[in-house]
Amino acid sequence: MHSFFFNYVPGNSLIHHLDPRTKLLAVMVASIFIFNAETFLELVTIAGFFVIIAFISGVNYSIFLKSLRPMSLFFIFLFFIQLFLSEGKPIFTIGFINPTYEGLITGLQITTRFIFLILFASILTATTQPVMITSGIERLIRPLPLKYIGVSSFDIATMMSLSIRFIPLLFDNAKKIQYAQMSRGMDFKNNIFKSFSSVAVPLIMSTKRTAQDIAIAMESRCYQGIYRTSLFELEMKNADWIVLLGISIMVLLFMFLI
Amino acid sequence: MSINIKNVDYSYNKNTQLETRVLENINLTIDKNEFVGITGKIGSGKSTLIKLFNGLFVPDNGYVHVDRVDASDKKTRKKVGLLFQNPHEQLFSKTVYEEIAFAPSNFGIKGDDLTERVHESLHLVGLDSKITDMSPFKLSGGEMRRVALAGVLAMKPEYLILDEPTSGMDIKGKKELYSNLKRIHSTGACVIIVSHQIDDLLPVVNKIVLMDDGKMTFAGTPSEYLENISSPVPEITQLMRGLRSKGFNVRNDVLTVDDAYGQIKNLLTKK
Repeated sequence: MHSFFFNYVPGNSLIHHLDPRTKLLAVMVASIFIFNAETFLELVTIAGFFVIIAFISGVNYSIFLKSLRPMSLFFIFLFFIQLFLSEGKPIFTIGFINPTYEGLITGLQITTRFIFLILFASILTATTQPVMITSGIERLIRPLPLKYIGVSSFDIATMMSLSIRFIPLLFDNAKKIQYAQMSRGMDFKNNIFKSFSSVAVPLIMSTKRTAQDIAIAMESRCYQGIYRTSLFELEMKNADWIVLLGISIMVLLFMFLI
Repeated sequence: MSINIKNVDYSYNKNTQLETRVLENINLTIDKNEFVGITGKIGSGKSTLIKLFNGLFVPDNGYVHVDRVDASDKKTRKKVGLLFQNPHEQLFSKTVYEEIAFAPSNFGIKGDDLTERVHESLHLVGLDSKITDMSPFKLSGGEMRRVALAGVLAMKPEYLILDEPTSGMDIKGKKELYSNLKRIHSTGACVIIVSHQIDDLLPVVNKIVLMDDGKMTFAGTPSEYLENISSPVPEITQLMRGLRSKGFNVRNDVLTVDDAYGQIKNLLTKK
């Protein structure tokens, strides 16, 4: 329950040892490929890549499938929106409900794309510790001229690691509040709106309080948001360069051949 | 009429690698007319134990019966009012009235009966009926805690359980809370307090339960407790015992500062 989205699975595979920047870039390239994929053959190729990479990572496939579960409602919604709202040849018509063949195809296409997007991202999160992802992102965006919009890459990194750090606490807190309200007879079956707000309101209030406390604690320790040294110094190794080279070749092939 | 706990085991994260046994072979009976204190170190299983009383947790082995009905039965939740630590953090309603009415209305109380219960509970915790239309978030910390307590009292629970009710309270707040609880106990409800502050518990309760590492190591009256358990005891008891071992003629079961003061004064005037 605690590790909903960032379910890191410790391991010793090639993928685990890659630099987080390499993996981040690879996921970015993969998402570009995924959103360009239209034909069935392209989607199958992407699926093949996923199976191979997941196999190399040594992480159980069920872990990746589990990461789809929180999004399943979104997938269903997405599919039906396409199915019913696309223009085209109707499959059948009942009143204003008229699913189309075109809708069926784009619906499947778009849903599959999102599923692959999450699957590839879950390889990243399963093989990389959240702190490493954060420092990877921090290092990648450091050259950007962020200071003109009033933040530094270190600010963003701190925000990210704080949010990741507090996800388990948020769940704990939600559980605690839920028990308290259940003791007062709250039952989601009775009055769903009131039950929901009886958990959500205290949860938001306490989260706000915690955020304020942390801000004060950070200020009293002189947090500046300027350059901070990291416990995890990132270092590109040979394997990283080889993987990046492989990705570049694939991108070039894709651009010139298709 | 009683809560009966028989051979109860309980573990967290069952059937995973993180499985931890938190309660082991607990046997305990709490009668309805009792005022009970449950004490023990942090992590000894006190808070887990009380979550079994209203069926939030179901024991792995053994059973918990409330008035001969299993605690997991929905009906017992109405009988057992459970107030968690830092109760002011569970407030959510727009007005104090709605906040207090939440629990009873969940159990089907409506109309005049509901209004009456809200005012009655406010009175029991020593708050003015005028605040019913105020937002609970506008109140002071102490008042918020009392509103939360009133919110549970409005269920008219036959068993009232409080988890660390005095944490973060000053001496005046504690005294007020305990006198409120005594008043509630005198109306016929069973009161169960979980606290690691044994100094506050022993003088008021008539039954004390000591937990240690998931096991119940003692259950009995406060005087039996003082006869059998050497630690933890209230600081004032420790002081008087120290004096006694140095040859002063004082009792070894002193629980309150007032009592200790009287005895020391006696000693001094005799000389």
